[in-house]
Amino acid sequence: MGKVIFKIIVGLVIGGGLWFGTMALEFPPVFRWMFFAYAMLGTLVFIILEAPSMKPLSGVKALTATLVFYVVLCIAYIAGASLWPQYDPEDEKGKIEKILKPKRAATEQGKADELIARAKALDEQTKALAERVKALGGDQAPAAQAGGSPGTTPVTGASGDVLKIGEEQWQLQECYNCHKLRGEGGKKRGPELDNIGSLLSVDDIKLKIIDPKSWMAEGYEKDFEKGKMPDKYKDLMEDKDIVALATWLGTFKNTSVNTPKPIKKK
Amino acid sequence: MRPRSLVMFMALVALFLGGASYVHAQAPSAPPVEFPYTGNRTAVWIVAQLHILFAGFILGAPIFVVICEWLGYRKQDPRYDRLAKEVTKVTMILYSMTALTGGLFIFVLLATYPQFTTWLINHFFMVFAVLYPLLFIGETFVLYMYFYTWDAWKGSKKARHIALGVLLNLIGTITLFVIDGPTSFMNTPVKAEGISPAEFLETATLWDKIFNYSWMPLNIHRLVGNVTFGGFIAGMIAAYMYMASAKDEERSYYDWMGFVGNLIGVGALLFLPFMGYLLSYELCDYDASICPYMMADQLSMFFEMQGAMIGLIFLASNYYIWLSMKRIQGVEKVRMTILSPIVMVALPVVMTKVMTDYPVPDPTSLMFLLPLLLSPVILGRFIPLTVSAGTVIKVGFLMIVVGDAIWMTPHGFVPTGAKLVAELELPSDWNFLALMPAKNSAAFTLVFVTVVNYVIYNRAISQGTIVWGKIDFVSQFVLIFLAFSSIWTMGLMGAVRSLLRKYFHTYNLMPDFTAESFTPTLSYSAWWITGITVVFFSVVTFAILVTLKASHPKDHAPEGSPVPAGAK
Repeated sequence: MGKVIFKIIVGLVIGGGLWFGTMALEFPPVFRWMFFAYAMLGTLVFIILEAPSMKPLSGVKALTATLVFYVVLCIAYIAGASLWPQYDPEDEKGKIEKILKPKRAATEQGKADELIARAKALDEQTKALAERVKALGGDQAPAAQAGGSPGTTPVTGASGDVLKIGEEQWQLQECYNCHKLRGEGGKKRGPELDNIGSLLSVDDIKLKIIDPKSWMAEGYEKDFEKGKMPDKYKDLMEDKDIVALATWLGTFKNTSVNTPKPIKKK
Repeated sequence: MRPRSLVMFMALVALFLGGASYVHAQAPSAPPVEFPYTGNRTAVWIVAQLHILFAGFILGAPIFVVICEWLGYRKQDPRYDRLAKEVTKVTMILYSMTALTGGLFIFVLLATYPQFTTWLINHFFMVFAVLYPLLFIGETFVLYMYFYTWDAWKGSKKARHIALGVLLNLIGTITLFVIDGPTSFMNTPVKAEGISPAEFLETATLWDKIFNYSWMPLNIHRLVGNVTFGGFIAGMIAAYMYMASAKDEERSYYDWMGFVGNLIGVGALLFLPFMGYLLSYELCDYDASICPYMMADQLSMFFEMQGAMIGLIFLASNYYIWLSMKRIQGVEKVRMTILSPIVMVALPVVMTKVMTDYPVPDPTSLMFLLPLLLSPVILGRFIPLTVSAGTVIKVGFLMIVVGDAIWMTPHGFVPTGAKLVAELELPSDWNFLALMPAKNSAAFTLVFVTVVNYVIYNRAISQGTIVWGKIDFVSQFVLIFLAFSSIWTMGLMGAVRSLLRKYFHTYNLMPDFTAESFTPTLSYSAWWITGITVVFFSVVTFAILVTLKASHPKDHAPEGSPVPAGAK
């Protein structure tokens, strides 16, 4: 027992040292606790190493011990997995729906679904109109229709919409995983793009998205050779979405950011 | 299931597969089945994972069995032969389960994803309708022949029997490689620069489709994984039988069997991290956007859990060596060069630095690492300083904890990079701890420590006397733990590989339009992985009890009598 207490004390000292050491090195608290937990794991390992031998079990005792052991393992693994930060699928569902919508619409099933959806909507509109007519006594046309409401043509800022779609595509295609923009995203896998609008035209940006081998960022020779930028966006994205993304990127002309110089390769 | 019924079953499956596209063409608008409670995707997940576990065992166990049979023949030690035959008995029952779950898998796939399944079958018609059934039937014949000729082909005919076992493994390996074609194709379909995957697919041959980016890495990873699997399951069989043994002779034999199973399992396990790395490297090379999805975003916490599991598996396997050492008389005399613990401690630091400067696959890193790894063997002879085996092993345990700590240190405690804030992020000066060079160094450390521990064990048995049957009883739980944990990890990584397809059935080619094509949480996945593992274990336990315990002769020859180390 004395040895166990000694090991626990040593473990706590090492754990405490790691905790304060990482605090001095400005690790966030969650990492300090993580290192402390590793020290405790080490302590447990060294306690188990010197633990007295287990008495042999047989018959019902062995069976019960085995079953209990399995239950403990199941609980430990489910609980262990549940303790890690959990990704919320809701974050992804909307994105997937938006990405797959045009693809689904292009399939036979998608076209059929769209027709069914339109028929349903028309049916509902007819029903609503019939009820309204009925409520008005059946002989009066709805005021709005009879009077002919003034045209409510939506005021659409066409360029604004394009930019909005472009920004949405940036998020949907998860370009931020490799490219830094507005100080966000990127893990140095691809060049920072805050000044790309000063270096490439919208058409050139579009070409780069469609054919990643068309342009190479200076300093990214190895990545270019390996084909790090996926050659798939021409198949995954609609042409109008590629144009929108290129147009949106073309608005980034922050000369204070050192976006690498593009070199024409094709 | 008898051979004839198995053949009939496989023929039915082949016919069914062959006719699938026709049936589907007759009813294009038939709505897919909706599985209650689980949903369709999880229903497929359960059946597919169970099938892969059974298939993994029946492909891995024969490799293990033939190695044992050959060792028994070479050493003239009947224990190896008994071990090989007992594992084969269990394999026979699980073989039927593989066929059953395989058929069920096809039915569930066709019922839930008819369009995709038909599309895949059309692209791999030759594989699904001809090659796979023929190989399975061939394997069935050879497996039954192998088992039923066991007693007849003894003595001078033993070499012939071993050759039959090798043939069995050859067919098994080809079967694995063939079915890995469509499996890997779903992750990395054939592509060419400048041409859309759909266009390229129209002109691609069957071989083009099979020989895709991740095919060979997946083959190697699964092959090595199956040997590990077979070894650990053999260890578990030994643990059950050890607990159920009433006689000392039986306990001695099953203690020995547990050791051999664990030795082969761990031997293959040492290669697994590198095989897994090769597979993920190829996946990232195929499409760079897979990498962040896997390591930094939606699946990053799955890899944290993987790190935890691998750390526990290495701790347990080394703890088993420790317990095995404790039963060797004279172990206290064993000593080792002081360079071994020094290299253990230095390895993660040096390797992180070297691999940062010369990233994989730059061979320059080997110029630094090989001398370091070999220094205990080469320089140790000239340095008189030695330390006890116990000290080396304890330093090893310390470094396993350190290695696992490095492996599990994330860039941030967040499920995706998008949610990263400073309070949950590793300080930038220490970010190297979350990068691949550090993770590789951690894997190398775990492997190196385990190899050193086995070297010590070998020295111990050559200098001392091993007493079988006297191992600490807790070791039986370690064997069960290793089998359960390695299978759980298989389930976890299998889920990761499937989820890498994101919202596609076949990546970038065949979208999954169902509402279930999102990334599930780790917690949800863990529930199902645990459930599947428990079902698999229940069936394996049943198979062990039926084949070994219930039919065990009471007057079995005591092959496992305690003998001195090295005795034949």
